[in-house]
Amino acid sequence: MLLPEHDFIKPRSLAEGLAVLRDAPPGVRLLGGGTDVVFNMRCRLMTPDTVLSLRDIPELQGVDVLPDGSLRLGAATRLTDLVADPVLRERYPALVKAFRAVASRHVRNMATLGGNLCLDTRCWFTNQTKEWRDAKGPCLKTGKDVCHAIQGSPICVALNNADSPPALIAVDATVTLASHRGERTLPLRDFYREDGIRHTVLEPDEVLTEVTIPPTRDRLVFLKETARQGMDFSYGTIAIRADGNGARATRLHIVLGSLTTAPRDLSTAGERLVALGLGDDGIDAACATIRDALGPLTNLYSPAAYKRELARTLLRKAIVELREMPA
Amino acid sequence: MKKGFITLTVNGDAHEVAVSSRHTLLDVLRGKLQLMGTKEGCTTGSCGVCTVNNARGEAVLSCLTPALEWDGQAVTTIEGLEKNGQLAPIQQAFIDYHAVQCGFCTPGVIMSAQAVLNLTPTPGEDDINDGLAGVICRCTGHIKVKEAIRHAGDYVAGRKA
Ligand SMILES: Cc1cc2nc3c(=O)[nH]c(=O)nc-3n(C[C@H](O)[C@H](O)[C@H](O)COP(=O)(O)OP(=O)(O)OC[C@H]3O[C@@H](n4cnc5c(N)ncnc54)[C@H](O)[C@@H]3O)c2cc1C
Ligand code: FES
Ligand code: FES
Repeated sequence: MLLPEHDFIKPRSLAEGLAVLRDAPPGVRLLGGGTDVVFNMRCRLMTPDTVLSLRDIPELQGVDVLPDGSLRLGAATRLTDLVADPVLRERYPALVKAFRAVASRHVRNMATLGGNLCLDTRCWFTNQTKEWRDAKGPCLKTGKDVCHAIQGSPICVALNNADSPPALIAVDATVTLASHRGERTLPLRDFYREDGIRHTVLEPDEVLTEVTIPPTRDRLVFLKETARQGMDFSYGTIAIRADGNGARATRLHIVLGSLTTAPRDLSTAGERLVALGLGDDGIDAACATIRDALGPLTNLYSPAAYKRELARTLLRKAIVELREMPA
Repeated sequence: MKKGFITLTVNGDAHEVAVSSRHTLLDVLRGKLQLMGTKEGCTTGSCGVCTVNNARGEAVLSCLTPALEWDGQAVTTIEGLEKNGQLAPIQQAFIDYHAVQCGFCTPGVIMSAQAVLNLTPTPGEDDINDGLAGVICRCTGHIKVKEAIRHAGDYVAGRKA
């Protein structure tokens, strides 16, 4: 099936791109690698008037080490280039693991960091061909007032299925959003909203330009669980960052991905592990907080009970990996 | 632009092609340039049979990228591997190691394999698995394909050295 007709624009500088966004109405769709956008255009989930390619904007490219030791990652940098980056590989192997967990080499050769962070939420009922959706009827995201995933839900509960956000949130990464009005920088965790339709705080005239990772010597672990080994969206992911070594930590940041509409912080679990240590007692106490921390879950892609059990399993495995890491 | 001409270099030859924003790179290769080696499978990034190599020799999915994005770029397709009547080493290895059955996936699998070899002429197990994770073969599976990739280095200009 051909793509829906649109106006294709490929600016050569950020200023040029932001000017397009200033003048254009909301029917503009940003294009990073296009691996999600083109897919969604084929399924007619996205029918933009204008597609704005970010690939030729030099300001959005590359990895730089800033004077204070932070790393700046340009939003249009390809995941393949992040996986190959020597600085990232040396300082943040678990982050590289998260980037490498995305799809296949083929997809990562095209996909960008910004596209992964802004990846549209996904739902079993919505991410289907148009024929399939037409048979079922539209939902909140596709123009009606019903949710097929949770009957009576007032908001869209589609999942954030991207692999890199949990790991980047765990290392306290910030994102910079630029528009013709200026620039703002916010923690990545505040970028996401619990709404499957407007799942980020990005305004229609804004572009995510860069991600900044503050320097840290903390330990970082990332795990992804999938049905298939080769290439698959995750059932669940976890990223944990901790100071200290062995079974001791005074600060823990635990983030779960792919189970909820926005990546979920497990702060109570983190407090229990700090109090009790990373031994088996601490892990048991942390796992006991999962049900409350996750709250009500959908059955999208896997049953809710499975999701809770998966969260506990990921937490257990990740803590064991963390405490066994060489100091 | 909704319609326009792009310059696309395919297998070393520059083409001016009239495309619209409705076309992907795959549509241009098959529909406009009549290069039918590159196959159309899922068109959603899941099967890899549409794989071509970009100017850096990396595997990319031609079904998942708008044609207009490729203005001024170069790609290599399966038709471009043979040189002066000589199959590329990886092609001959696919024949010798029986890595082909129905052949539908083969162009995509070979372009994926070529991309692995472009990165390293002596790929390890991890490199090969990483390079093949995005392509699916319904008939042969990946075992013979992996064998062919491991032995591609034994060939010089299409012949076993
Ligand atoms: C077969 C297949 C398997 C996949 N498996 C996985 C997987 O395992 N894990 C995973 O995380 N993803 C997966 N994906 C989804 C997708 O390929 C990746 O998330 C990828 O990183 C998206 O990046 P992109 O640059 O191609 O995004 P695009 O498709 O270009 O864009 C995605 C979204 O982000 C927006 N956007 C892009 N760049 C910016 C920017 N700089 N500022 C603001 N908005 C922006 C776009 O408008 C769009 O809404 C898979 C896709 C396919 C086709
Ligand atoms: S046709 Fe492109 S990945 Fe299947
Ligand atoms: S040889 Fe038939 S699909 Fe691979």
